[in-house]
Amino acid sequence: MKRRTFILSAAVGPFAPAILASVATAQSPEAGSGGAAAPGQEVNMMLLPKFLGIAVFDQANQGAQEAHAELENPGKLDFVGPTAENSVAGQIEFVTNAPAGGYNVVMLSNNSGDQIAPAAIAADEAGTKVVTWDSPIPGAEGESLFVAQVDFDETGTVMAEMARSILGEDGGKFAILSATPDAANQNAWIASMEEALATDEYANLELLEVVYGDDQSEKSYEQALALVDKHPDMELIMAPTTVGIVAAAKALQDEGLCDSIKVSGLGLPDEMSSYLENGCSPEFALWSFVDLGYLTYHASYALATGAIEGVEGDTFEAGRLGTYTIEADPTRPDTGALRIVMGPFSVYNADNPGV
Amino acid sequence: MGRIDARRYLRRWESLLVLFLLVVLAYNITQVSNFLTAQNQANLFQLSIEKAIVALIMTFVIISGEIDLSVASMMALSAAVVARLNESRMEHVLAIVVALAVGLGLGALNGFFVANVGINSLAVTLAGYIGYRGLAQVFIEDNSVGGFPGWFTRLGQKGIIGPITFSIILFFIMAAVAGVILHYSGFGRRVYTVGSNARVAIFSGVPVARTRIIIFATSGLVSAIAGILYAARLGAVRSSTAQGFELDIITIVLLGGVSIFGGVGSMVGVLLSIFLVLNLRNGMTIAGITGNTQTGVIGLLLILSVLIPNLVSRAQGRFRRTPVEPQFQAPRPETVQSAG
Repeated sequence: MKRRTFILSAAVGPFAPAILASVATAQSPEAGSGGAAAPGQEVNMMLLPKFLGIAVFDQANQGAQEAHAELENPGKLDFVGPTAENSVAGQIEFVTNAPAGGYNVVMLSNNSGDQIAPAAIAADEAGTKVVTWDSPIPGAEGESLFVAQVDFDETGTVMAEMARSILGEDGGKFAILSATPDAANQNAWIASMEEALATDEYANLELLEVVYGDDQSEKSYEQALALVDKHPDMELIMAPTTVGIVAAAKALQDEGLCDSIKVSGLGLPDEMSSYLENGCSPEFALWSFVDLGYLTYHASYALATGAIEGVEGDTFEAGRLGTYTIEADPTRPDTGALRIVMGPFSVYNADNPGV
Repeated sequence: MGRIDARRYLRRWESLLVLFLLVVLAYNITQVSNFLTAQNQANLFQLSIEKAIVALIMTFVIISGEIDLSVASMMALSAAVVARLNESRMEHVLAIVVALAVGLGLGALNGFFVANVGINSLAVTLAGYIGYRGLAQVFIEDNSVGGFPGWFTRLGQKGIIGPITFSIILFFIMAAVAGVILHYSGFGRRVYTVGSNARVAIFSGVPVARTRIIIFATSGLVSAIAGILYAARLGAVRSSTAQGFELDIITIVLLGGVSIFGGVGSMVGVLLSIFLVLNLRNGMTIAGITGNTQTGVIGLLLILSVLIPNLVSRAQGRFRRTPVEPQFQAPRPETVQSAG
């Protein structure tokens, strides 16, 4: 089947999408569509992060650009975003204007909760698909597909495991420094960690408080220090955000507190290497944002060209990352949400510094 | 210099705005494929409608020689009040009324401090800028509070006539009313008089204090309306709602040819400026230009709108070998009265 679609698409060139889709549905009506999207088709893409100026989003763009070149897409790939202070209204503005801008797909890391849903629905109705990555639309309205970096339910366990490995078998008290209160991914991870904490396995870990640094270095730094003042018995700050974890580690280092309080969470090895060395942050985790951008692009391209329909059971080739299948998103039940899960966590520590 | 120059300057400035607007429109129409669709035109207004609404009242504030830095914080506060009261199960219409009353009351308080106590409006509204935002933070904390009734969010998001929303209709009605009041009413004349020369106004028997209190109270009320509409459009409120909007709003008004020193400006100029900024934003967003660059471009416009008039008046002053006057000449009270 894969071979046949390839020959077909080579023969019909630019008219491939419609034919491909019809061939695929004709041959496998029982389980959606699948296969590899033919390169060289024109799809206009917008990569819309939460806001600009964050290293991991630049990395995602790098991955998307790689896929863009690899698929020889003659259309445009624009990496745009609002300013940090204007993230919610700015994202809504970009999504609302996307159909008028001629974009076929908006690849969105949602920072606007369900507030973005009306704009996403309108875009979808106007023919612009909304594919989320990194952070989904909680109610999944207007969203075609979510490309999840990791299984969100697993994130809580990974964080709880890191917390225990840092605090020791006797456990201890810790706080969470998150990004913004509207970030769906953050909220899902925190909820999943709270679930893990409720089990006997991690019963001796106590979550003191969740605070928000809005993914801005300065505010995160202040929030970390405020936590220190407020909770004298706190031994760990868990920041599931690459901005928050660096800010917290720097705050504790500046105050000379790294002996008594550690930092962990989700961090970029590049940004965390000095804190790994000086012991402020002995262990943290992440995934490759380059790969996430790359996979998101492949999924969006396959969807826009009609190589997949975007239904449960669709499979597609994502270049160097291999084959992926669309599945129902169990972390957002009763919403009809669909997702693709990229892959496992990488845990970084003294044995695996990652740089 | 004097009255003729101020009006001539304004007319020239408005012509320049029309020219800018035509350039931007020409670009958008030719380069943006779906620019002229009803949906895009509605989006163009809808995405900045709250700022446009507040710009209308800010025009009065600045022409009267004052400034109101607290408008965006007031938007956040009114949105926060509505969200919190809604969350505590208060009847939603009542919650809106309470938020509007808060806006009117705090606005009047600003006016009282400016008009009766005699504190500079920059200082008074700077306090409001910090204080109202602080209150919003107390109400909302670090949360995102939504869960509004369906009719409220539909009002903020769905079109009433085709894609045209309630907010857009309200804006055009308010713009017409504001234009009539500013240019064709006794109150409008008093606004110019107070802004041109408050001392002369007092000696001429103009109720300066009352005029100022009315302006600031209305500013609070209109900001509260805008904040509530913003909450309805976004469907949730955070304490950072509308952060930084005051500068965008003041930018629009100054770009419209309203003098930061008071006494000069027209509603036509401000409306042209609103259309220009909105079209510019729409074009830039559709062209895939990022938020940072957009902020830069709008900032550049502000610099030009403040610089050009000053440079022009300075050059004219030198040319005529007359001393450079402090700025581009506000019309004298009697002039403005005869203009109405």
